[in-house]
Amino acid sequence: MSRSQDSTPSWPTATAAGTGLREGRVLGRDIKRVDGPAKATGRAGYGHDQRPANLVFAQFLCSTTPNAEFTLDLAPALAVDGVVDAMAVAEGKTVHLGQPIAAVAAVSPQAAAEGVRALAQHGLEVTVLPHAISIEQAMAEGAPAVRRSGNVGRVRSSDEGDVEAGKQEALDAGGVVLTRTYEVPVQHHACLETHGMVVDYSGGEEATIWASVQGTFAMHDGPPEYLELDPSVVHGRVEHMGGGFGSKFGVGVEGRVACQLSKRLGRPVHLFMDRETEFHAAGNRSGNRVTVTAAMAPDGRITAMESDSLRLGGLSGGSYAGLPYVYTVANSKSAMRSVHTHTDGNRAMRAPGHPQASFGMEGILDELAYANGVDPLTARLANLPEDEWNGVWRRQLERVAREIGWYEHEHRTAPGPHEVVGANEVVVGIGFGLSVWGGGGSRGNEVELRVDRDGRVSVAVGTQDLGTGARTLVSAITAEEFGLDTGQVSESIGSTRLGRGNMSGGSVTTASLAPAVKDAAHKMSVVLLAKAAEATGVDVAELAFAEGGRVTGGGVDIAWKDLCSRLAATGETTHGSWVRELQDSGVHGAQAAKVAVDLVTGHVEVLEMVCMQDIGFVLNHLAAKSQVQGAMVQSLSYALFEERLIDADLGLALNPNFESYKLANSTTIPPMKVLFDPEDERGVIGIGEPPAIPGAAAIAGAVHNACGLRLASLPLTPDKVLMGLEELRARG
Amino acid sequence: MKDFEYIQPDSIATATELLAEGDAAWSNVSRRAIAGGQDLFGELKTGIVEVDSLVDLKATGADNTIAVDPSGNLRIGALVKLTDVAELAERGPVASLLAAAALSVASPQIRSQATLGGNLCQRPRCLYYRRPEAICLKKGGDECFAYGGHNKYNAILGGGPSFIVHPSDLAPALVALDAKVTIAGAGGATRELPLADLYTLPSEGDVTRETVLTPSEVLTQVETQLPLVDRMAGTWRSSWQKFRERDGFDFALSAVAMCLRVADRRIVDARVVLGGVAPRPWRSAEAEAALIGQELATHGSAEFDALAVAAGEAALTGAEPLDHNGYKIPLTKGLVRRALQELSR
Repeated sequence: MSRSQDSTPSWPTATAAGTGLREGRVLGRDIKRVDGPAKATGRAGYGHDQRPANLVFAQFLCSTTPNAEFTLDLAPALAVDGVVDAMAVAEGKTVHLGQPIAAVAAVSPQAAAEGVRALAQHGLEVTVLPHAISIEQAMAEGAPAVRRSGNVGRVRSSDEGDVEAGKQEALDAGGVVLTRTYEVPVQHHACLETHGMVVDYSGGEEATIWASVQGTFAMHDGPPEYLELDPSVVHGRVEHMGGGFGSKFGVGVEGRVACQLSKRLGRPVHLFMDRETEFHAAGNRSGNRVTVTAAMAPDGRITAMESDSLRLGGLSGGSYAGLPYVYTVANSKSAMRSVHTHTDGNRAMRAPGHPQASFGMEGILDELAYANGVDPLTARLANLPEDEWNGVWRRQLERVAREIGWYEHEHRTAPGPHEVVGANEVVVGIGFGLSVWGGGGSRGNEVELRVDRDGRVSVAVGTQDLGTGARTLVSAITAEEFGLDTGQVSESIGSTRLGRGNMSGGSVTTASLAPAVKDAAHKMSVVLLAKAAEATGVDVAELAFAEGGRVTGGGVDIAWKDLCSRLAATGETTHGSWVRELQDSGVHGAQAAKVAVDLVTGHVEVLEMVCMQDIGFVLNHLAAKSQVQGAMVQSLSYALFEERLIDADLGLALNPNFESYKLANSTTIPPMKVLFDPEDERGVIGIGEPPAIPGAAAIAGAVHNACGLRLASLPLTPDKVLMGLEELRARG
Repeated sequence: MKDFEYIQPDSIATATELLAEGDAAWSNVSRRAIAGGQDLFGELKTGIVEVDSLVDLKATGADNTIAVDPSGNLRIGALVKLTDVAELAERGPVASLLAAAALSVASPQIRSQATLGGNLCQRPRCLYYRRPEAICLKKGGDECFAYGGHNKYNAILGGGPSFIVHPSDLAPALVALDAKVTIAGAGGATRELPLADLYTLPSEGDVTRETVLTPSEVLTQVETQLPLVDRMAGTWRSSWQKFRERDGFDFALSAVAMCLRVADRRIVDARVVLGGVAPRPWRSAEAEAALIGQELATHGSAEFDALAVAAGEAALTGAEPLDHNGYKIPLTKGLVRRALQELSR
C-alpha cells in the first residue's frame, strides 16, 4: 500500500516472522488462484473447448516411417461422408516419424478420423527410404543423410587452462582420474492440452483465433498471412492454456493448416493434435550422451575436466549447457556436437540443456568424491564458483543438506551396501544437485488499469497464463496497491486486443509482467491520493491507502467508494510499463533427494525432496511453491520413468501414448519441501525453469549413495538397478 | 476407429448365436463380444482391431454376482467388476488373494468398468502388438519383433515363437486357487475347464490367440476350488506380489501368486503361479516341489534364506532371458522371497 510521495514504485518491505521473507498485505503470501474455481469446475475456456457455430474438425495424417517419399491422392478422403476438405501438408517427402503429411477437415471428429484412415489406406503411396534413428545409425559410414549439411554438426569447443597438468596435479596429490559416459533420453513436454487452435473465421473481414500458445501475440505471427487479413482484425485469444513448457512458442504447422483450411472453407476450424501426433511432432527435450574424464584431488577439488558430448535433437541441434556445469574447474576442455536423426526436432523445454548437463556433472562429481573417500557435500562445496554467488550456493547446499537429514545420515564418505545384510533389504541414500538460471524480465508488457466511479477496478494486459499464476498476480499486485482483496479487482488477459505482452519462455514472464502491473497501479495510487488531498485539504504526503481501500492520514479516513465517487464519469485510467528496478535476474538453487532402493526388486522410491532457491521478492508463495514443486515432479518423472522408445531397426515408435510413455503419478510423488532464500533482497525474478534442473541428478546421486550403484543413464528403472546390482555383486 | 453396430442381446444364448454368425465361414461380418471394454476399446481406438459389430454382454443378464461357499471358496460371475473383487472382505486365503490381485490392476477408474471375464481374456500389452504398423505374429504376421527388439517387458519363460507375456493379474491368482471356468458356446452349449487350461502357449497352436476359447464362446463364471476342507492338516495362507515399474498404475513386470498350506510351520501343500513373465499364467511345479515338506522359517534366518533361494531358483527353472529382460530373473526370485516373507509371519 503505497504513499503518494514515493516517486518510484516499490515492493513491500515488511518482514514476515518465521520465514524472514518480505510480505505485504496481499503479496508475499499464499494467494489463491483467481481462476482456480473456473479451472476446477471446467468453466475455464481453453482453446480446445471452443465450439463456434458451423465448426469443422481437422486432423492430420502423419508419416509412420522416419524417412520416405510419397505421393498423395486426396480423393479417398474427400469421398468419406462428412469430410469437407483435405489438403497436403508436406510436399512429397517426410523426414521424421510422425510428420504431418496431410490434413482432413470434416463435420465431426469421427468423420475426420475416417477421412484420415481412408487417405492412409487408399490415397497414400509411400516409398520407404533408409533411416537413421540411433546415434550409431546416424554416425555410421554411408548413413542416410538426415540434413544436407550431414548428420554430425560442427564441433563447438572450449579450452581453459591445462587439462593434462590438472590431471597430474590430482594424481600427484594422491587423487583420482575417472572416465565415464552418461546418457539421457529424449523427454517429452507432455502438455495435457495438445498443440492446436480453433480459428473462428467464416469468410469476411475478421477472425478470432483461440490457440494453445505461450504468447498471445504469437497469433499475429503467421495467421494474418495465412488468412490474408490484417493483424488488426485477427483477434488472438489464449485465456487459459494447458501447458507449454517451451514447446508452444509459435502457432506451428497445426496453426498454419488450421488457418489455411478455414480460409479455403470460409468456416471455423478446430485443429488440435491427437496424443500420438503430439508425441511425434510437437518437440521434445533433446537427449544427450557425454563422455567425461575428470580428476579430483583428495581435498575434493576437481582439477581437470575433459568432455565430449553429443546433442540428440533429432532434426534440430539439441541443447546442452556444457561441462563443467555450475561448478568451477580450473583446467577444462570440452567439445560438443549435434547428431541428427530422422526424429522430430527438439524444442525449448524447461531450462533447455541444463538438466542434461547437470546429470553428467553431478554424476562425475559423486563418482570422483567416493573414489577419493570425500563426501559428496564437501566435494560440492569445494568446487563452487569463487564469485559473488559462492556464498549463496553454499548456504543453500548446507540448508538442503540439513533439511534432508544429511548430517545424521549413516554413509556419507562411501555409499551404502549393495548386498542384503540380514533382514535389511532396503537401503536409503541422499543426493544433491545445483542449478543456475537467469529469470530476468524485459520491456514489452503494456498494462491498462482503470478505476470507475462506482469503485470497480479493472486491469488489462494481453499476456497469457501458462498455468503458472500470471493472471492471479495481475489482480494481486493491483489489490495490494489499494489495500483491496484480489476478488475486488477484475483482470483481463490473453487477448491481442489488450496491451502488448511478452512471450512466456525462459522464466521471463513474472519479471516482465509484474513491474508493468505495479507501475500502472502505482500511477493510479498517485492520481487517487491527489484526489483525496484535493477533497480534504490534507497534504498529499500524509495520505496513504489502508485496509479496504480506505485513504487515511492527516486525521482523515475516506472509504474507497467515496474516494472513487469523486472521479469523472469516465473513471481514471493509467498505463504501466516495465520498470527495471522492480525486477532482477540470476537465480541459484540447490536440491537434495532422499531415496530408498529395494535391493531385492530394484525399486527406487523417492522418499523426500528439498529445494532452496533465491528468487528475489516472492509475489505469491503458493504459486511459487507450486511452480517449484511442479518442476521437481517433472524431474522426478525424468529420473525414474520417462523415455521415448523407438525401435531403431524398424524405425517404429513404440510408446507415443500415456500408457507406455510413463509419467510420475500421485502415488510416486513424495513430500517436496520448498524454501526461498530469505537473504535475497532483490526484486521479482522468474522461477519457471531452474527448479527443473537438478532433481534428476540428485535422485541418481541418492541411488549411488544408497547402494554404490551409479547408473549412467536415465531413467533409473528397476531393470537397470537389478542388473547393475548383479554386476556390483559379481565384482565383489 | 471405424463405425460399428452395437448389439445388446438379452441373453447369453443370443449373444453366442450372434458371435457364431460373425465367426461363420460364410460371414464377412467381424463381431466381437464386449463387457467392460477396457481393453477392447483401446485396441479399436489404436486401430489394431476392427469390428463391424460389438455384442454387449452386460445386458444379457449373465452372472454378475459373487457367492462364497462355507469353506471360503468363491464363485464369481464373469461380469463382476474388478472394483467389487478388490473390495472382497479379506476373509480367508482365497478372498484376500483375489482382492489383493484385483486392487493391483490399473486405476480405480478402470477397475470400476473392467470385468473379471475381460481381465482374464485381455490381449497382450507387448509394445509391438499395440502398434498398428507392426504386423507381428500376434496379428497374423511372420515375425515376433520383440524377440530381437525392445523386449524389456517380454517373456523369459514359455516364449517362442511369440514372446508376449500374459498381462492379467487375476489369472495367476485364480490359477493358484485351482479355479475352473464355465464357458458358454453357441446353441446353449456350456463347458467347464480348469482356468490353467484356458490358456495356451504360442507354440501350442494358434499363435494369434492366448486362450482356447472359440470366437463364439464367452466366459461366464469362475469358481475357485482350493482344497480348503480336505483331511490334510494345516491352514492355507496366500500372498500376492506384483511389481510395477511405475507404482500405482502399471502392468506387472513380474508377479507371484502363492498359496501355502502350513501345518506346524511345515509346508504341506503349495501353489506358485507367476504373472508377467510368460505368455500364460506360469504355474511352477518346480517351485511347489521345492517348498512342500520344508519348514517355513522366519524371515531373517539362514533357513528362511535357503528356502527363499531354493524356491526362487526352482520357480525360474528353464528361464531364458532375451537381450533386455534378464532382470526379470532376479526380480521374480525376489518376489518369491517376498511372498514367503509375508507367509512366514
